[in-house]
Amino acid sequence: MKLVSRLVLLAAVITLGWWLWGVCFPSVEKVVAKRMASLAKTVSFSADAGNVTRLAKASDFPGYFSVDAEISVDDPELGVHTLSGRDEIRDAGNGGFAVLPGLKVTFLDTTVTVGPDKQVADVSCTLRVVVGNDKDYGVQEMHFQLKKIDGDWLITRAETVKTLR
Amino acid sequence: MTLVRIAVLVVTCFITFKFVLLPIRVEGISMEPTYHTGQVNFINRLAYLHHEPQRGDIVSVRLAGDSIMFMKRIIGLPGETVSFHEGQTFINGQPLDEPYVKNPCSWEAGPFVCSANEYYVVGDNRNMPFKFHTQGRAERERIVGKLFL
Repeated sequence: MKLVSRLVLLAAVITLGWWLWGVCFPSVEKVVAKRMASLAKTVSFSADAGNVTRLAKASDFPGYFSVDAEISVDDPELGVHTLSGRDEIRDAGNGGFAVLPGLKVTFLDTTVTVGPDKQVADVSCTLRVVVGNDKDYGVQEMHFQLKKIDGDWLITRAETVKTLR
Repeated sequence: MTLVRIAVLVVTCFITFKFVLLPIRVEGISMEPTYHTGQVNFINRLAYLHHEPQRGDIVSVRLAGDSIMFMKRIIGLPGETVSFHEGQTFINGQPLDEPYVKNPCSWEAGPFVCSANEYYVVGDNRNMPFKFHTQGRAERERIVGKLFL
């Protein structure tokens, strides 16, 4: 019985150590995934969010993108629409935060692939968007490219992926 | 002994519902009237272990993962050409009998050529403009499985 207790205790200590190691020294994949989750949180706001909250989010939003970032959206109705550079992205973000009644963004099934030099990363995910208090939601498969610039992981390219061609 | 039984049951359920029968909840009107929003179903991941997907199969097509998937019917097989004329589906120029389509439509689209690795999938609800209906060619590796019920 004493042996079993000791084994259980040992397993618990190993698990705790492994968990602590992961918290203190997260892998690059985890850091990038966390960055994406942070982006989702930044662009999400409730319908009753005031102007101050919206302004704060609008000012944080461009910080996730590099200066030369590009967003390419292929819409079945509108065709391909591209935003080039952080300024254009900022303007689009400002418009969105001002006009939309509310927004809830979630990145699902996020897969992070880090380059061999650990300075670039590819992220594949499914974007789930709810506008305002709408019951329906939109989904879109997305692909992001990120680069480590001055210690921060910044999005250099974001594009929609055609699941069905 | 009871603990062992519970453990076996938990492991069996986990394996079954994770790797064999994936539980799903239907959302959206794309597959009406065959399937409605709120219905619960399962995706049989092993359905295509011994044979490839067939025309008429209702399958789930994954996006980035399997948290959210498209549920569609296969109408076009690899190498085939799919087109829509006055709401009628044509495969390689021949009309396709689709008894599951209850809502008439006037779609005019195509031709869409499926490559050797692609299946043309579409919902049963054709009572909406073509451009609003999510459909198209899905790569084989995106087809997760066949609807169980």
